[in-house]
Amino acid sequence: MQVQQLVGIVPWTFIAQLCNLFIQAFLIKKFLFKPVNEMLEKRRAKADAEIRDAEKAKTEAEAIKSEYEQNMQNARVEANELIASAKKTASAQSEEILKEAETQANAIRVKAEKDIEQEKKKAVSEIKDEIGEIAMEIAGKVIEREISEQDHEKLINDFISNVGETS
Amino acid sequence: MELDISGARVLLELPVNLPVLGKLQLSETIVVSWLVMLLITGLCIWLTHDLKEENISKRQAVAELLVETANNFVVGNMGEKFRYMIPFVAALFATSVVSNLISLVGLRSPTADLSTEAAWAVVVFIMITAQKIKTNGALGYLKDFTTPIPVMTPFNILSEIATPVSMACRHFGNILSGVVINALVYGALAVASSALLGLLPGIVGDLLSQIPILDVGIPAILSVYFDWFSGIMQAFIFCMLTTLYIANAAGET
Repeated sequence: MQVQQLVGIVPWTFIAQLCNLFIQAFLIKKFLFKPVNEMLEKRRAKADAEIRDAEKAKTEAEAIKSEYEQNMQNARVEANELIASAKKTASAQSEEILKEAETQANAIRVKAEKDIEQEKKKAVSEIKDEIGEIAMEIAGKVIEREISEQDHEKLINDFISNVGETS
Repeated sequence: MELDISGARVLLELPVNLPVLGKLQLSETIVVSWLVMLLITGLCIWLTHDLKEENISKRQAVAELLVETANNFVVGNMGEKFRYMIPFVAALFATSVVSNLISLVGLRSPTADLSTEAAWAVVVFIMITAQKIKTNGALGYLKDFTTPIPVMTPFNILSEIATPVSMACRHFGNILSGVVINALVYGALAVASSALLGLLPGIVGDLLSQIPILDVGIPAILSVYFDWFSGIMQAFIFCMLTTLYIANAAGET
């Protein structure tokens, strides 16, 4: 069988190998790089889409969160207002109650003073009567005689008015 | 014992005889190259059929790994703008590796023929030159030969030509040395086993000495270096130099 040189360049082989290299490059591009790169691109697009979705969801969540916080803030302000107004009402009421109580107390005191006065007067008149009787008895015993009812009366009254003036 | 280390066998000679190109011979190199191309293309098709976006198979993972590795290699060495070079460099590497390793099944490596490497080196050389002209302009490219001083011009031209020659010869030399050493080892071990078994007396020794028993196993150990390591290394070096020279011509590095 015919054999080519061990070390040498055979023109036809050279040309064939040159073409083979480019054909191989084309084939490898068509059958390996194109499909795999397309698939990788698709996967990347998918991943990107997922990331975009996630970001969108995050933005929405943040909007909701800020809205919620706003609401919370409003609620807190409202609550504070409510508490403040309640406090105000309560203090006003308590003041009113205190005032009323004072008025009532005053009224009671005035009534009590009046009662005391009356009692005093009553007691004084009772004492007057009693003293009159005692005085009359003593006087009867002293003078050993009976005096008329009228003299008696007059005497007592004089005496009591003297006592009232001195007391 | 005769040892014959020859070039590629001519399998078919076509009746075409052109003045410069000579007779159209279909050599072993070309036929095995076609086989190599078939193997690579078949592997690509097998790897990339039924690609999925998620829940990928091991096969697809390998395909993606190969593509990513090629992408990283080319983009890492040459920069983003040379993305279009990825299939070419990948083809160069794949063809080189498979050609080098196909000698393991007893075929003659297409890379054990200088014509193959010369074709590749010339392609790379043309790419380097085109890139240089594209970067510096035709005048700038020519002017570059006279740097640093005009006297250096012949040496500059020589060094320019040395690039493809050294690339081709480096690859070819490594593979051919593997072929030669393998042939020598096989031959030597056949002689050794024949001499060893010939020591046996009588007809048994005569019969057994015909069987080169030592050829089993021992050459496989040498093949780890000469076929596997050298084959993959040379393919890698060739591609590395290709990318670096072209990137250098474009002023990338």
